[in-house]
Amino acid sequence: MTRWLPASAGDRVRWAAVAVLAIVAVSIPPVANWYEDFTLGDFSSKFAIFLASSAVVLALWAMSYNLMLGYTGMVSFAHAAYFGIGAYVVALGSKHFHLPVLEALVLSPVIGAAFGLVSGIIALRAARLYFSLLTLAISQVLFAIAYQWYSFTGGDNGVHGLDIPDAISTYAPQYFFVLGVTVFCVLLMYGLVRSPWGAALLAIRENRERARSIGINVKRYEVSVYTIAAAFAAVAGGLFAIVQQYAQPEMLYWTENATPVVITLLGGLGTFLGPAVGALIYVVLQQYITTSSTFKLYFDITLGVIVLAIVLAAPGGLVSLPALFMRLRGRFRRGEPDQAVAESRGEAIRMLDVQKAVLAEAIHAAELETGAGLLKLEGVSKRFGGLRAVEDVSLEVRQGDRHAIIGPNGAGKSTLFNLITGRLKPSSGRIWFEGREITGKPVHSIARAGIGRAFQITSIFPRLTVRENLQYAMLAHRGLTARPFGIASRIFRDEAMTLLEAVGLGAYADLPAGQLSHGDQRAIELAISLALGSKLILLDEPTAGMSPFETQKAMELVRRIATERKLTLLFSEHDMEVVFGTARTVTVMHQGRILVQGTPEQVRRNPEVQKVYLGELDVEEFSA
Amino acid sequence: MDPGKFLLFTMGGLADAAYLFIVAAGLSLVFGALRVINMAHGSLYMVAAFVVVVVANQLGGGIGFLPALLLAVLVAALVGVVIEIVVLKRIYGQEHLVQLLATYAVSLVIAGGVRIVFGVNYRIVAAPISGHVSVLGYNYSLYSLLMIGAAVLIAAGVWLLMFRTPLGRNIRAAVSDPELLNASGVNVTRLYTIVFAIGAGLAGLGGVIVAPSQAVNGTMDTDVLVLAFAISVIGGLGSIIGSAVGAVIVGLVISFGLVNPVTNNFALAFVFIIMVVVLTIRPWGLFGTPEQT
Repeated sequence: MTRWLPASAGDRVRWAAVAVLAIVAVSIPPVANWYEDFTLGDFSSKFAIFLASSAVVLALWAMSYNLMLGYTGMVSFAHAAYFGIGAYVVALGSKHFHLPVLEALVLSPVIGAAFGLVSGIIALRAARLYFSLLTLAISQVLFAIAYQWYSFTGGDNGVHGLDIPDAISTYAPQYFFVLGVTVFCVLLMYGLVRSPWGAALLAIRENRERARSIGINVKRYEVSVYTIAAAFAAVAGGLFAIVQQYAQPEMLYWTENATPVVITLLGGLGTFLGPAVGALIYVVLQQYITTSSTFKLYFDITLGVIVLAIVLAAPGGLVSLPALFMRLRGRFRRGEPDQAVAESRGEAIRMLDVQKAVLAEAIHAAELETGAGLLKLEGVSKRFGGLRAVEDVSLEVRQGDRHAIIGPNGAGKSTLFNLITGRLKPSSGRIWFEGREITGKPVHSIARAGIGRAFQITSIFPRLTVRENLQYAMLAHRGLTARPFGIASRIFRDEAMTLLEAVGLGAYADLPAGQLSHGDQRAIELAISLALGSKLILLDEPTAGMSPFETQKAMELVRRIATERKLTLLFSEHDMEVVFGTARTVTVMHQGRILVQGTPEQVRRNPEVQKVYLGELDVEEFSA
Repeated sequence: MDPGKFLLFTMGGLADAAYLFIVAAGLSLVFGALRVINMAHGSLYMVAAFVVVVVANQLGGGIGFLPALLLAVLVAALVGVVIEIVVLKRIYGQEHLVQLLATYAVSLVIAGGVRIVFGVNYRIVAAPISGHVSVLGYNYSLYSLLMIGAAVLIAAGVWLLMFRTPLGRNIRAAVSDPELLNASGVNVTRLYTIVFAIGAGLAGLGGVIVAPSQAVNGTMDTDVLVLAFAISVIGGLGSIIGSAVGAVIVGLVISFGLVNPVTNNFALAFVFIIMVVVLTIRPWGLFGTPEQT
């Protein structure tokens, strides 16, 4: 085995695919010329090279779409508009402003990004479906302007006949020019998706809520990826204008967005180079069908059937396609055990090495003075319509404290946590953290201020590896995800590994986190909240779904880490053994209000608390 | 603007609003109950338009229109049933991207099918009633008045269906809690098929009604779909009243936008600017309810 070969089979396949693509891309013009000579002119090499140029342009456009769709899951109907704008910049720059084509091409991403930024800020005020509909409306406004502003855009005639410089006016040089610009853009995009900035995008795609709670400003990243995708789409549009020598308003019409999506789908969603392969298939298919005398009306149907087949054959949604492909491949290649389908056995917590975890570098020690007030709530209430989920709660959590919040189901514990972490806005009342008011602040800034959180229902990044889950949390919490360069998977790698080994997950570091068992996912959840290096950690029923033994181990870990690192804990828990074994202060909530607060001993003896819990028991027995 | 002209453009806008409302109501009904944005909704509208043109012309004149209408709506509803059973049943509850892509793929298949079956040329059909009435110096075709009347009837019919029948009660229950409805003995799977068939039938009816007033062609599916999106979003996705108000707003904006020499080029842009404004200020639309998160 030589050392320069990539280690994993997946990487080898990927690099082989890149090499094949590169060879195909470079050899198209010479092969086409040779084939023309071979067939004595039955075959037009010029046309073949022209088609290849078109495919390259489509590939760049689709990859820019994939930057948004594949890496953040945003479905935009306005992406064709930026493609069209890029084409208009080059075409109008050449016709109206006598700008050399190359200078106009450099200008196109700038103008595309400007349009993208403004419409991105508008469209991203809404989420998911409403975001998509907003982009639809924006693209129709832009289309209407291009279509109707005769004096400037030429209206429905578009702009024709560009002044292409001699150097790139013939087919083969033009092809290599387009290919060169595209490769340059693709390398830029590749750098971006591997950077910490790209890591933040992946985290958002995987789990928006979790991404916020590790300190990622979701909206800002969405606007930035939308703008950057628009810039690359505009470059693709500019290249389109050079190859096709026109720009038309139809390019901006909303239905045009189907082209990059279908190309991405053909090549395989969630793969970086997939769109390049998809574009090749698309162009060849289109050329073959629309020039065939029998099938010329069948292009739409063919595309429709292919898209339907892909969407319906992957029952887990589009994202399962790569996994489906791996499974199929695994079936043909018995020799190579399929690592992707391996599952953990939920043993992580049993392997826990508390001593190691406590010493793990990944957990930053917060320098705190024990006893001072850290978190303060004053008269906090939350009403949902007529329901008073939390009512007039005043509470102080002191530094170094391990503060438990207990109470029957529906007492308002989770709502209270959501109010503290900013996921919900209080109806009234104020919240301070380290003397600064955080009432109503967004989730990500509260997380960055130093409040970490583990969710009651496991909330991790399921398709990222276990290690990436921790690495990205560390990146985000230390504010490094704004960096658009560097390789995210190499930063904090060792720190994440140490922590993983300590919590018993070392063996699963490279598996997708979603494939681990429930108990192990709880361990990841816990590890994420520890890795954040927060001063205050909120644990919402940290041991839900764990066995008694696992519970014991996990709480031992939490307790030790909290003590050694002077972390402050605020946790809710149903298991009274856990509560009285861990907490120094206990607050009992009932029907949204604070019933009692005191030391575990005081609370245990309190007759009112006993009544509340006995009352709940009665009800449970009654309904059973 | 003199009152006669004002009335003329108002009626023009309302006639557009009439067929747009019927189409948008179907889209909105389906979204409300099934949480699916149906990109093939415009295709059902186009299929029905082609069917009515071919059949009515075959049967001849005004008399042939009514049976053609019934057949066209039936065809649209049946195609809808097939789409629901073959495609939608597999993708309920999945991310919007999957639903958008699957229904978009269906629209491609239907658009291609229409081109193969009916050819690439546009078709026209005569209105079932001809003649004009004259008010304040302008002529109004009886057919456009009929369109408005039909839309009002449909609106009333849909309202009665939703709020005065057991089926409507079940549909509304399915919107808020399909699982509970299922547990209480209602066949939700079949209910979804019925809702989608009604939505498809409304799309078809819209296509039938519009057929005599414009040339029926192979791109009318996407043209109407984007307007139906705008209407349902402005009015509030899932709200029938919202669709009616949205349709009137869009119809009037287009009609009055086109007469004004300053704005006539950008009438359609105004529709989408309104859509942007509504979505940014009130994403759930004028009459919709905010989505629970």
